[in-house]
Amino acid sequence: MKQALVDDTEDVSLDFCNEEELAFSKAKIRHPLATFFHLFFRVSAIVVYVCCDWFSRSFVGCFITVLLLLAFDFWSVKNVTGRLMVGLRWWNQIDEDGKSHWIFEARKVSESPTAATEAEARIFWLGLVVCPGIWTAFFFSTLFSLKLKWLALVIAGISLQAANLYGYILCKMGGESDISKVAASFLSQTVFQTASTDDPQKPGLDVLELRQH
Amino acid sequence: MAEAEEPLFVGLSDISISQDIPIGGEITIPMRSHTQEFDSSTLNESVRNTIMHDLKAVGKKFMHVLYSRKSNTLLRDWDLWGPLILCVTLALMLQRGTVDGEKDGGPQFAEVFVIVWFGAVTITLNSKLLGGNISFFQSLCVLGYCILPLIVAMMICRLVLLAGPGPVNFMIWLFVVAVMFAWSVIASTAFLADSQPPNHKILAVYPVFQFYFVISWMILTFTPQ
Repeated sequence: MKQALVDDTEDVSLDFCNEEELAFSKAKIRHPLATFFHLFFRVSAIVVYVCCDWFSRSFVGCFITVLLLLAFDFWSVKNVTGRLMVGLRWWNQIDEDGKSHWIFEARKVSESPTAATEAEARIFWLGLVVCPGIWTAFFFSTLFSLKLKWLALVIAGISLQAANLYGYILCKMGGESDISKVAASFLSQTVFQTASTDDPQKPGLDVLELRQH
Repeated sequence: MAEAEEPLFVGLSDISISQDIPIGGEITIPMRSHTQEFDSSTLNESVRNTIMHDLKAVGKKFMHVLYSRKSNTLLRDWDLWGPLILCVTLALMLQRGTVDGEKDGGPQFAEVFVIVWFGAVTITLNSKLLGGNISFFQSLCVLGYCILPLIVAMMICRLVLLAGPGPVNFMIWLFVVAVMFAWSVIASTAFLADSQPPNHKILAVYPVFQFYFVISWMILTFTPQ
């Protein structure tokens, strides 16, 4: 009876992917180690800076620890987590004439199983944007409370994290060299999206949402 | 169509190139970028490779500062890990004062840091304003790596200090610091002076001289307590 229902010429899909790959491609976070380290170095640098009086009374030890954490964070975000989590990469290259070029590369959207997921991209950008803001707040608090010996460290933190942020923004913008145009288009998209949640019957908003992804 | 082309090519047979004119040129091939595995599937493998590659590059640059005068490695594959390590080492060794409480050498530590990095940035800006064609980070890299001889001097000085104070020890100390200072200045000017136009060489080299002089002075006046 069953054979009468299923035709001999009907195509039957054979699942060649093994279980692991299927689970991997369906997982929300495909690179858990990279995600962990992306946030670990940044957050622990901030935590050690804030709580240094509790760990040890030595200024030097705290300074070196925070500095090393910031340096490791810069290196890992630039070289590892960027290309794994969002498929972006930037670096400096010096050609034979001695001219230095900054190169920004963005991977084209692909459906390969190792490509990054949305959750990873969101975590990446969140970590990238929030931490320089926190260090800027530390800068002002250090300046106004006159604890000037920490100022060097805070400035180092701001410059390292802002450098990564700037590099990845330039990668993301791709061909757009005018940052005001990008900001304006981003703002208009968010405005339309919030308007769309109020009025779901507005036509044409699907096109905008697709572009944002 | 053939008639339209003929007037264009009619004079070609009259052209001849004499033997005297040198025909030559340069083909610049853009440098191959660091081929990191962009689609690597195993995170651990690629990270370890990247780390080993970077560590080897830093080690090679240390060797180049000590043993050979002119190398392209310091200029082309610049990195700031070496200057960071050297600066931290120098600041740690130049600490003085007791460890407990507020007086744990805090100000001296941050002072060394600020002097080294602010000094390097100033020299780089000066060099760029004078028309040098070296990039910002290349210059920072060279200046940072060339602190290595002075670190060696500092280590020798601490060993000499262990032998106790005295005029002979001080003379040894002075001699070592002077030699290492000269080594640093010569090593860094070998890179930096080349990037300047000839009439600005002294103007670009003098701040470098001053920079290493200040560091040498900090080493020379170091007294542990």
